[in-house]
Parts: sequence; C-alpha cells; structure tokens
Amino acid sequence: MTQQADLASPAPPEMVIDALSAPFWAAARQRRLELQRCQDCGLFIHFPRPVCRRCGSFRLEFEPVSGRGSVYSYTETRRAFHPFFADRVPYLLASIELAEQADLRMLSNLVGIAEPDVRFGMPVEVTFEDLSPDLTIPVFVPAGSPA
Amino acid sequence: MRGGRRVAIVGVGYSDAGRRTGLSERHHAAQAARAALADAGLESADIDGLTTWGGNPIDFAHMLGFSPLRWHLDVGISPAFISPAIHAAHAVASGQADTVVAMRVILQQPSRANLWAGGTGMAFDAQFQHPFGDLMPAQWAGLLTNRYLHESDATEEDFANFAVTQRGYAANNPEALMREPLTVEDYLAAPYISKPLRLLDCDYPCDSGAAVIFTTEERARDLRQKPVFVEATALSAIHDMNFELLPDMVRTSPVHCLRQLWSNTDLTAADLDCAQLYDGFSVITLQWLEALGVCEPGQAGPFVSGGGTSLTGALPTNTDGGACNVGRRHGANFCIEATRQLRGGQSGDRQVADAEVAVWTNAVGPFSGAMLLTGS
Repeated sequence: MTQQADLASPAPPEMVIDALSAPFWAAARQRRLELQRCQDCGLFIHFPRPVCRRCGSFRLEFEPVSGRGSVYSYTETRRAFHPFFADRVPYLLASIELAEQADLRMLSNLVGIAEPDVRFGMPVEVTFEDLSPDLTIPVFVPAGSPA
Repeated sequence: MRGGRRVAIVGVGYSDAGRRTGLSERHHAAQAARAALADAGLESADIDGLTTWGGNPIDFAHMLGFSPLRWHLDVGISPAFISPAIHAAHAVASGQADTVVAMRVILQQPSRANLWAGGTGMAFDAQFQHPFGDLMPAQWAGLLTNRYLHESDATEEDFANFAVTQRGYAANNPEALMREPLTVEDYLAAPYISKPLRLLDCDYPCDSGAAVIFTTEERARDLRQKPVFVEATALSAIHDMNFELLPDMVRTSPVHCLRQLWSNTDLTAADLDCAQLYDGFSVITLQWLEALGVCEPGQAGPFVSGGGTSLTGALPTNTDGGACNVGRRHGANFCIEATRQLRGGQSGDRQVADAEVAVWTNAVGPFSGAMLLTGS
C-alpha cells in the first residue's frame, strides 16, 4: 500500500563530472552557456578535450557563447531508454549548429515546439531546464520564443 | 593487397546464433572457430594467429588448442568485424603469421532493464548525452536518417522497400533468424523508435560467434574450399565516436574509406558483382550505395525501390538478408556471405550468377572499413 509512496521519482541518468567538464555545468546552473575555447587559436571545442585539435594548444578555457544556432538534424525519441524519461517521451533530440563557428555542434533537446513544426535550419536559441536541484541543462527553443 | 604475400579466405563459420542463447562468449567462439576449421579442412595445429573483437584471443587460442600463437590482437571498439578481418589479412600478408582466425563474438545487448540499472556507460562524453535523453545508438541513427531524408530523394516508402528486399533475400537463407514474408505495410506499421527511424530499420540483436580464416595463396590451394582472395582493404576514421556531432551526417566515413579502397586496386566499383553493405540501421546501407557511386547522390532510396539491390538488379546487395534478418553478427555475416558468393554455389537461391568480385563493408559515420574480394 505504501509501495507507491516509496517510489521516488526517478533521478536523471547518473553522470560523471570532472575538472575538465565542471565549468560547463557550473555555468548551466547559472543559466549561461559556456563552451571550451582554445586561447591560442580561438577554436571552440565541444565536447571538452584536453588539447586543441587545430593548433595543439593546451590553453583551453570556457567562454560564454551567444546561445544562438540552427537545427542541423533532429529526431523524436518515442521510447524511454531510462526511467527518468518514461513520462517525458516523446521528446526531441537535436544536433544544433551554434552560431559562433562553422560545424560547431551541440547535442541537446528542442522544447516548446512540436515535432511536425520543426524545420531543418530553423533558428533556435538556448534556454535552461532544471532536471534536478543539482542539474540544469541547456536546451533550445525556436528563436524569438517568449521567455 | 599491394605488397606482401597474397592472402585468401579459406574457412568461414558461425556459432549457433539466436536470441538469448544462454551460451557464453567462449561457447560461441568455440563453435564458430570449429565450424570455420571444418569448412577449410584445417586442424587446430595449423593456426598460428588469432584476433577477435569480443572475448580474448589468447584465451580462445588456448581453449581451441591453437597455442603457440605467433601473432594475436585483441580488437576493441572498431568498425565491427572489419577490423579483426583486415588485421588478420595483413598479418598473413606481412608474414607475421601463416594462418590466422579472425573472430567477432557478440552477445545480445543488455535489456532495457539492465540499462536502467546503470549499464549505459560512464564514459566522459556521456555527460553531454545522457541528461538530454540521448542514450542509445537508435537515436543517433534517427538523426542521421532524418538528415538523409531531408537532403536526398528518399522517402519512408524507399526505406520500407529496403526492408522488404532484405527480407526477400533472408527467405532464401536458412541461417537467417527472420524469414517470414514482409510487406511495405508491415514496415510502415512498425513503431518509430526515434522518428523517422522505425523498428525494422534496426539490426536484430542476437548472441553470435563468427570466424573467418585467412592464409597464404600457396596454402589455400591445398585446402577444401575454392580460395577467395583479398584484393584490397581500407580502414577509415574521420571523427570521434560522437555521431551526434558529425558536421555532415550524409557523406560520412564510407566516402573516405572507399577512396582509400579504390586507390589500392586496379578494380573499380563497375567490376562489382555483389555488395555486402553494413545495415546496423537502414540508412547506413544507403550511404554506402551512394559512396560506391552505383547511383547518383541522393538516389539510393529510389535505386532500392527500383530493384537495384535485388538479385536481378544492378548491384545485388546484402544477399544473406543483412543483419536486420540474419541477426547482429556485427559485420561478420557480410564477410561470410561475400566469401560464399565468390566460391559459387554456396548461396542457394540467392546465388549471384558467376560472381567474381565482391565488396563487404562495415560501420558508418565516424569510422568504417571495407574489404574487396575476388574469386580468382
């Protein structure tokens, strides 16, 4: 009888954050999108890496980006592959091309839009979603959506 | 292959593959290796090299009585079976070993329940995927398929025809796990996993062991089967393993891989009698067809719907039914089917008449590999 009450709502998938990635998540907590950038040649790098693939520099720091981009591709996931997503399906995954640099891509969610309304290349902008008291993720909405 | 000794495939074998067989990696490895030895007419003592993805080559070699080995390689995450196969062929070509077994042993992926229990992997990059609900390969396949549909002339009906064509081949393959007739309507009625990717765009998970034996041309002439020769090989990597971040999701590693392959041979795609092109997800085979140039860019869908990949088409493709039907042998099925086609008379009602040249390929996106085989 108490079984249902004992079932805590499922937590987001477990994740390992280390020194290399911590600035990304700390910024997201403060509703800022920051990506790793080479301090020597200026290349943005996502996902974070210890070295710049263009110039070989190890001087990499996180810097704010505009949060503007466009939809390169998207898919509507219909199955929950983890309990956290059981009541979130269907949801939209997207590869976002960020405005800062050609081919700078970010994997995220499209929210505030239904799948049939999504268009390839449509402009989007970042917003933030709290998944738990400790975890905020950057997600994307159509550009100009009401805040 | 240019440089070194000429290399032939002389034996192929499968384990008793199936859904949740309850058998271990060692069981599947042992069954597949013994089957390949019997196919070739070789004894355990003839084997002096072993490579595998899945299990451990040293462990398998001792179990099978192959010791001592002169050459061994434990292959990790790589473009499916093509990596062990290419490394085995080059070990023979370079003289590091004379007779090498290449294996792919793969057990059915953990169930969703296991994934939920925390089996989804803790790799660093996962922190930029899992919180967004990006947890399974079917999802990057959804991204690749959607972009492909956007850029190409393909329709969902073309993808349906692809599944139907493959099932038609599987009906003529006693080793296929899925053989019931399939219609376009069946495909379209199957659920989306990650739209536009449907259930029948995915390979069929199973427990499987596969083994292929490579040796020198000289040795091959004395063995049981008609030798099938390795004409050229190519491995390619153009990106790290995050398919979701590929700058171009339509023209991926196969384009680069085939450029390498054709630079290693005087043959061309026009010489192919059949092709065995990886189909972990349908869109992968369509990418390979376009990379091969058998149709214009963006035309692989109509090419398939027009019968181009059927037994009477311009390029019979995935003639064993593909991994969607034969089961996830993870590319080894394409090596084995290409070999049987070139031996002649071993592919039953799906035999390509007078097949002399075949290509088999694995993977897509960040990485891939290809091997060109000839019957003489």
